[in-house]
Amino acid sequence: MPKSPFIRVLLLIGTLLSAIRVAAATPVIDVEIKNHLFIPSEIIIPENTKVKLVIHNRDETDEEFESYELNREKVIIGNRKGVIFVGPLPAGEYPFFGEFFPKTAQGKVIVK
Amino acid sequence: MLLNSVIIVLREVLEAALIFSILLALSKQSQIHRTWIIWSLLIGMFGAVVYGINIPLVSEWFDGVGQEVVNALMQYTVYIMLLFYIIILLLYASKPAAGARKLLVIMMVLITSIAMIREGAEILLYFFSVTRSVNHYAAVMMGMIIGASIGISIGFLFYYLLMNIREKWSMIFGLGLLILVSSGMISQATLLMIQADWLPAQMPLWNTSDFLSEKSVLGQLLYALVGYEATPTALQASMYLGGLILPVFIIVLLKLKLKLKFKG
Repeated sequence: MPKSPFIRVLLLIGTLLSAIRVAAATPVIDVEIKNHLFIPSEIIIPENTKVKLVIHNRDETDEEFESYELNREKVIIGNRKGVIFVGPLPAGEYPFFGEFFPKTAQGKVIVK
Repeated sequence: MLLNSVIIVLREVLEAALIFSILLALSKQSQIHRTWIIWSLLIGMFGAVVYGINIPLVSEWFDGVGQEVVNALMQYTVYIMLLFYIIILLLYASKPAAGARKLLVIMMVLITSIAMIREGAEILLYFFSVTRSVNHYAAVMMGMIIGASIGISIGFLFYYLLMNIREKWSMIFGLGLLILVSSGMISQATLLMIQADWLPAQMPLWNTSDFLSEKSVLGQLLYALVGYEATPTALQASMYLGGLILPVFIIVLLKLKLKLKFKG
């Protein structure tokens, strides 16, 4: 049965809305801190998109996620996790580090 | 280890030291005795320990963004108290009353102790984390003492700068610095709310890191002093601007009103 233009428009709007809903569901990326290292140490995220980083600190000690480039700073308590929202960002590399153990705790967010 | 602990403690101490020195200079102008500092230090240190111990709990609030929300609320509160402080200070300068003086002291104690609670808690967490995993007590302690001393010295420097210029200018500079520090707080608090996804995230408006990096010494000082941010979003920048304009507007309004009163 041929669809009327009205129904077609409705369907189109519906498809668009669901596409937006999918886009609006913030992607979640899990990161671990283990022996004062970030695993993975490189996090790849899409351009112009907000993502939710869930950082699981597997060490006994607290760590502070810090990045001047990302404008983010947060203490992640030992044996617990913390949530940090990052982006939307233009393409590029954004280094971050663990402020409490910066010698080893280094990583970067790569936006492409 | 040593250098790292110098930097961490310096960064945390700097902001509180600046607020302390400006308020101290302004209160000296209003002939308020500096015993209020003892109260701030006591409440601030006690509060820092209590908050530090409870950060694991606070972090779990609001789906893992409790830290951001609580810190941002503290900073918004300090901003509002600074606004009240400025209003009372100007009223007090035109007509010194005992009640206003008491309010000024209470405001100053609250503002400085809240600043200390936030920064102090982070220093405590750092200290216990680092000393638990490495055996560098001496280096860490030394670094922390050096960092704190540099921060406090910068505070003293600002205090004596403010005390050694003409009274009228020191009031203007003191208030100006205070307004800059407080708009920096508004912008930081807004950033935390964005980080927690309580306020909408946006693409950065511009990027001035090539021109002045937030990592540089000057960048750090300007961050503490005027809330310098290399890549602000539109929301953050407008909150900063609003935070700057509001107290200036209030001061101008008060000045006009007070002058009218003198004429009448």
